Amino acid sequence: MARSKRIKVKTVMIFKNFIKYFILIALALFFLFPVVFMFVSSVKTNEMQVVSDMSSFRGFIPYGALGIKNYINVFREMHFGRFMFNSLFITSITVLAGMVFNSMLAFSLARLHFKGQRFIVSIVVALMIIPIESVVIPMLLMVNTVGWIDSYQVQIFPFIAEPFFIFLFYQFFIGIPYDFDEAAVVDGATPSMIYSRIIVPLSRPVFASVLILQSMFRWNEFLWPLMVTQGPKYRPLTVAMQQFFSQDPRLWGEIFAFASMVTLPLLILFLFFQKWFIQSVASSGIKG
Amino acid sequence: MKVEETSPEVSVEIAEKVPGVNFGSLKSQKRREVITAWLFSAPSLTLLVVFLIVPFVMAFIFSLTDQRLIPNRYVPTAFIGLRNYLRLFSDDAFYRAIFNNFLFAIVVVPTQTAFALLLAVLINQNLKGVRIFRTIYFSPVVITMVVVAVVWSNLFNPGQGFINQFLKFISFGRIKPPGWLTDTHYAFPAIMILSVWQGVGFQMIIFLAGLQDIPAELYEAARVDGANKQQQFWLVTLPQLKNTTIFVFLTTTILAFKLFTQVWVLTKGGPQNSTMTTIVLLYRQGFIQLNVGYSSTIAVVFFFIVLMISILQRVFLKEQRR
Amino acid sequence: MKKLFCILLALLIFVPLFAGGKQEATGAGKGPVVITVWFHSGKGEERAVLNAQVKEFNSMQNEVQVKAIMLPEGSYNQQVSAASLAGKLPDLLDFDGPNLYNYAWSGHLIPLDPYISTDLKSDLLPSIVAQGTYGGKMYALGTFDSGLAIWGNKAYLKEAGLRIPTGIKDPWDLNEFNTALKKLKALDKVTYPITFKMNYGQGEWYTYGFSPIIQSFGGDLINRSNYQSADGVLNGPESVAAMKWFQSLFKDGYANVKPAGDDDFYGKKTAALSYVGHWMYGPISKGLPGNFVLLPMPEFGKKVVTGMGSWCWGITTKSKHPKAAWKFLSYLMQPSQILLMTNANGAVPARKSALALSKLYGKNGTLELFAEQLNAGLGMPRPKTPAYPTITTAFAEAVQNIVTGADVKTQLDKAAAKIDQNIKDNNGYPIHK
Repeated sequence: MARSKRIKVKTVMIFKNFIKYFILIALALFFLFPVVFMFVSSVKTNEMQVVSDMSSFRGFIPYGALGIKNYINVFREMHFGRFMFNSLFITSITVLAGMVFNSMLAFSLARLHFKGQRFIVSIVVALMIIPIESVVIPMLLMVNTVGWIDSYQVQIFPFIAEPFFIFLFYQFFIGIPYDFDEAAVVDGATPSMIYSRIIVPLSRPVFASVLILQSMFRWNEFLWPLMVTQGPKYRPLTVAMQQFFSQDPRLWGEIFAFASMVTLPLLILFLFFQKWFIQSVASSGIKG
Repeated sequence: MKVEETSPEVSVEIAEKVPGVNFGSLKSQKRREVITAWLFSAPSLTLLVVFLIVPFVMAFIFSLTDQRLIPNRYVPTAFIGLRNYLRLFSDDAFYRAIFNNFLFAIVVVPTQTAFALLLAVLINQNLKGVRIFRTIYFSPVVITMVVVAVVWSNLFNPGQGFINQFLKFISFGRIKPPGWLTDTHYAFPAIMILSVWQGVGFQMIIFLAGLQDIPAELYEAARVDGANKQQQFWLVTLPQLKNTTIFVFLTTTILAFKLFTQVWVLTKGGPQNSTMTTIVLLYRQGFIQLNVGYSSTIAVVFFFIVLMISILQRVFLKEQRR
Repeated sequence: MKKLFCILLALLIFVPLFAGGKQEATGAGKGPVVITVWFHSGKGEERAVLNAQVKEFNSMQNEVQVKAIMLPEGSYNQQVSAASLAGKLPDLLDFDGPNLYNYAWSGHLIPLDPYISTDLKSDLLPSIVAQGTYGGKMYALGTFDSGLAIWGNKAYLKEAGLRIPTGIKDPWDLNEFNTALKKLKALDKVTYPITFKMNYGQGEWYTYGFSPIIQSFGGDLINRSNYQSADGVLNGPESVAAMKWFQSLFKDGYANVKPAGDDDFYGKKTAALSYVGHWMYGPISKGLPGNFVLLPMPEFGKKVVTGMGSWCWGITTKSKHPKAAWKFLSYLMQPSQILLMTNANGAVPARKSALALSKLYGKNGTLELFAEQLNAGLGMPRPKTPAYPTITTAFAEAVQNIVTGADVKTQLDKAAAKIDQNIKDNNGYPIHK
């Protein structure tokens, strides 16, 4: 009796797990199929085959003439390396500068005393609701007066300071206990030493969150470079991708090769730093 | 620290007096503190003023003029009062844009939040290999939206696209598949689908962190009280995730109102304005029709809409907290 | 931390200098004059020919070196606006014909009259001259033009017992056209007798393709005497009649508002007539080898009108070397170069001398009719006013609503009001001479 019951429980367990895995795998397919489709199509060298495979499961199977011809063509037809460099350069400089400047402002707002401090905090909070997208047109006219159209700086400067990140830093800094500071002051530390030796080392999680979030926002930026870049010289990947896509005739093999090259480095980077990455994203939502 | 305080829309209590260390009572020490504070604040503050406040004020001013993007020697810019506003309020495209932004928020925000929660609960189980699934579900987040849009445009192709062929396949040819991006009724839903696909992994991770923060004792207590798995979810998990949910809701709502990239890559607001959004309209008016005055008017009205939503959220959330 | 801060500050100061310094390198110094040329990246073949032409031009002489930059067609206009805003227009650029008037009015282009010899001018197709002229000056030259006509399925036309016009002298009139549609619809294989390429979607095609119908009925998009108003013309009785008739074709099942694909005519062969431009020659000659015939634009009431206009070249006011730019442009305008391009993209050559040499468009060529129509001056340029972008947007929107069943008069009234408002907002687009 007891034994058959145990077997029954076991079968129920197995069945339950089976269902669970079934759901997990079905969802995995939903998230994976466009990505697999993209990679597989990008290595099919026969454009006719890419197009005819589009409409069936054959689109997910690498067969027929395979090779890196599409990738080579992308490099031959356009300055892919340049676009990649531009995106990396713009993103890294903006984020680096953003982390330093935003945290510095947050530090002086959260841990120092000066007149006008409260006013600045409320300004920063108020500015959080102005989406930068809504001011792009006046900004375009503005940067034009200093001849910045089609340059790196026009894609870097406007995005360094972001109220949301300043606020994330502010929240975190306010929560750090003051014991350390006091000890340091007794030892003769100046305010800037407190920032660099105490606050920054203690704030790794918030720096990581801002690093991830701002990098993602900057890497994905599309509207502004669409307006301010002209030739391939300063154009980032996003705009280049869209323009390659809207070119006639549409060669899907090459488009997917382009898309794969944009995606692959990030995907690999993500897989390597997965744990850290996910932790940072997680903490951006939970703790301030 | 509570989640409300990290999100922009929630009321922020600014400390009356900033607590902190006394750097010393000497005048010179005080002065050094003030100087450092201003030095530290200067770069960010300058950038905020130049690249956010000034353009915003300019938008206000432009909205009262017929400013063109490219000045013309024959037609100087003129002050035209409220003409732009009057026209905007009788512009069908504008209403469609606002409608779509709200539609996106109303449909996508709850769907995506629920979906993310479901995924988080699924991968929070004690199963072998569950971390692989976490990686897979999250991977679309690292793909640039432009690439996502390009890939999905292929999948959505009405004649040959995989999605329509799949629909035909699973329905044995009974479903007559829609024209997706070329059909006024399906273009916006298509954009919603790919947006959810790309974004849901991000929220899943935030929910997952929230789930793992829930103390095990709470479940223990619920079990002692005789709650089954389902009841535990409704009575323990959901209430404990309230703050996380609010955060996810707010951030997705903001994204819904900024919707631009995927629309521009795929439909540019068409067919027949069916995928028009506020930012698309603002871009079209300002950068394509070269009508800076009108575009700025859209920006100003857009700002007030976002402001209203923030205020509503604040009121609503305060109510909740009571 | 301090170090990092210093590096950052240095970078931020350094980057603008670095970026700015780079741009000033061009221009100065001896050696060949370097000119920048922008062109839209159209079809693959077009791109290949132009790249080859640039290469050849650069190697065959050493006075002028051309630096060609290809820009995507989809956002070409925006790129030009942004460049003119920034004062960074190239020396020479190409643009779609009807944009010329806005560019010229905005002061982006210089008149080409001093450069164009009388020989060249008299050799140009009338449509090229008409398109390039604004305010009495010639601002642009195209190396090719486009044409609009009706392609017919020979077998179906015979089966229905219809008269096939021999050329531009004996086109169908409205009655004959209507009867033809009726007879063709009666055929078994035909579902919709004519396709209007509605699959192209709301956009420039609507204006290019369907304004000739309005004009043939005696209406127009705008009053062309002074280009100040569309009221009474676009919503006048002739235009309304034209669009009512057009709407009835869709309502009565003669044409499909939502074709599933592009190939109703040449692939599925469920359509007997295809109302479209020269650019469909490739697929049609492949899909219906020896079984197609080209019919001239019908005479719907007042006159015969065909579509015309295509991409053309202009020299910008920003150019420091207009002569060098002209040198390259005149090279592109050589009959042999024109033919290279038109053989690749299938368009109508812009010069009569090149036309004569063209296999497709020359005497007894398959597509001679297109050249004949343009040569006879049947092409009507799209409205030559800086308001054109507004006109085409408003008209295309009206067409879209009309073919899906909206009231014709209301829609045209709305479009006319939009156009007039734009003209008024710009003080009538004045030209001070």
